[in-house]
Amino acid sequence: MTAVVAAIGQSGARRLSVLGGLARFALRATRAAARLSRAGRVVTLRNLVNQIRFTALQAIGLVTLLSAILSFLVIAQTSSQLGAVAPNFIGTIMVVAVIRELGPLLTALIVVSRSGTAIAAEMATNRVMGEVTALEAMGIDPYIYLVLPRMLGAVVSVACLMIVFDGVALVSGYIGATVGSGGMRVDHYAAIVLGTLSAKDVWLTVAKGITFGAAVALFCSYHGLAVKAGPTEIPQAVTRGVVGTIVAIFIMSAVFVAVVA
Amino acid sequence: MTQPRRSYLAQSYAFGTEAAPPLEFKAIDLRDRPDHPDHRFNVTIVPGEIVAAVGDEDSGVGDLGAYALGLRRPISGQAVVFGALIADLPYYDLLVFRRRVGYLQVGDGLLQNLTLRDNVALPLRFASDHRMADVEVRVTQLLDDLHLRAAAGLRPAQANEEDRRRTAVARAIALDPDLVVFEAPFDGLTGRAAVDLLEHASRRADGTRRTVFLTAQDLVPSTRRMMTRVLKVVDGEAVEESS
Repeated sequence: MTAVVAAIGQSGARRLSVLGGLARFALRATRAAARLSRAGRVVTLRNLVNQIRFTALQAIGLVTLLSAILSFLVIAQTSSQLGAVAPNFIGTIMVVAVIRELGPLLTALIVVSRSGTAIAAEMATNRVMGEVTALEAMGIDPYIYLVLPRMLGAVVSVACLMIVFDGVALVSGYIGATVGSGGMRVDHYAAIVLGTLSAKDVWLTVAKGITFGAAVALFCSYHGLAVKAGPTEIPQAVTRGVVGTIVAIFIMSAVFVAVVA
Repeated sequence: MTQPRRSYLAQSYAFGTEAAPPLEFKAIDLRDRPDHPDHRFNVTIVPGEIVAAVGDEDSGVGDLGAYALGLRRPISGQAVVFGALIADLPYYDLLVFRRRVGYLQVGDGLLQNLTLRDNVALPLRFASDHRMADVEVRVTQLLDDLHLRAAAGLRPAQANEEDRRRTAVARAIALDPDLVVFEAPFDGLTGRAAVDLLEHASRRADGTRRTVFLTAQDLVPSTRRMMTRVLKVVDGEAVEESS
């Protein structure tokens, strides 16, 4: 019995210690922005643009495809199952289920799987190859050079991709509604959906974009830079970073619902 | 180019004392035997000297560079750089202070996702407040001096070993530091290339001599001739070799 309690306590303490480490990591990355040199700002901006190109622009196709399929399926099924009463629910389902909840979750999961893995693997490789030591030896804060552009890039990218997701979902939802109900006028569909959409949904999308994006960059960078022993730790770091981010995103989603509701 | 002392680099002069020797090792335990107070590594390097510490792989000589940069703390003893106990400095102060010291770690420590040119530019961009235009002028000058113009656009994995080492040296002296610390800088290089690199490393932008401390397992005669002193690490102690 004592052993079980000890094991639970140990596991809890380890998780708390990771949370503490993450909080310190986030603080250091944020403070790093204030110490950027003049030329460093220019280079960081270039790195940020590159990061956004990789994280957002190159993911637009995938986000569009998944958003179109998801909203088509959800709205087409709703329309065909609910029959004549479907128009009363399409707006609510589109806004609450797709735009407010599934959209941000799916977008964040796409970014974790594409860019989160890349960030964690790159950071771990930087550590293993001695590049982090080289930066510190040059007097360069690795948080400025490595973490800051990725964090800003992930925040901007996830927020932008969520907007793309929502736009595509609205269009695809109309096709789903037309197919599911055997025909629906655009202005009718637009009136139903826009009637349900509120300003709260807009700022919620932005807030989720910022927090989910920051979570992707923070978890993946933290676990990537935590590698110590050697190259064999790189895949483990990537796994820890991705799993940690996914759990964090779901927990944050629940917190958003609890707070906003 | 802005003078380092008037610029962002001025912060790095806030630590230590002006008249102190560039580098001192005081009673460093290189043999990992804290219970034996004898056989400690004691060396003081004065400005303008080129000093090499040579020794076998298990002599502990390979740790001296990391001690001098404050990357690691010796089990006992102290590394004192420009009068500052480097291992005792807080992390951010340490980062600032290191801008006075150029460092070439074992291998080369180049960033693999950057070209050789961007590697040289890195400290100038992030550890100085020079404008981008000034940075580019200084980088071009360094690439020319170290015969890297043709390879500047390559990434480290695409370049040969000599060019990678030249790049690492160019990066180490980019901020025109008062002191450079090199770990095994000439491994795998020809004697001629080693002499060329050492000549560049030991000369500051204003033509004065820079203090150089390097560690190696051995030195070829051509580089040995350029040393002010060669210290052999024997049983944890520095034994000066006669020239």
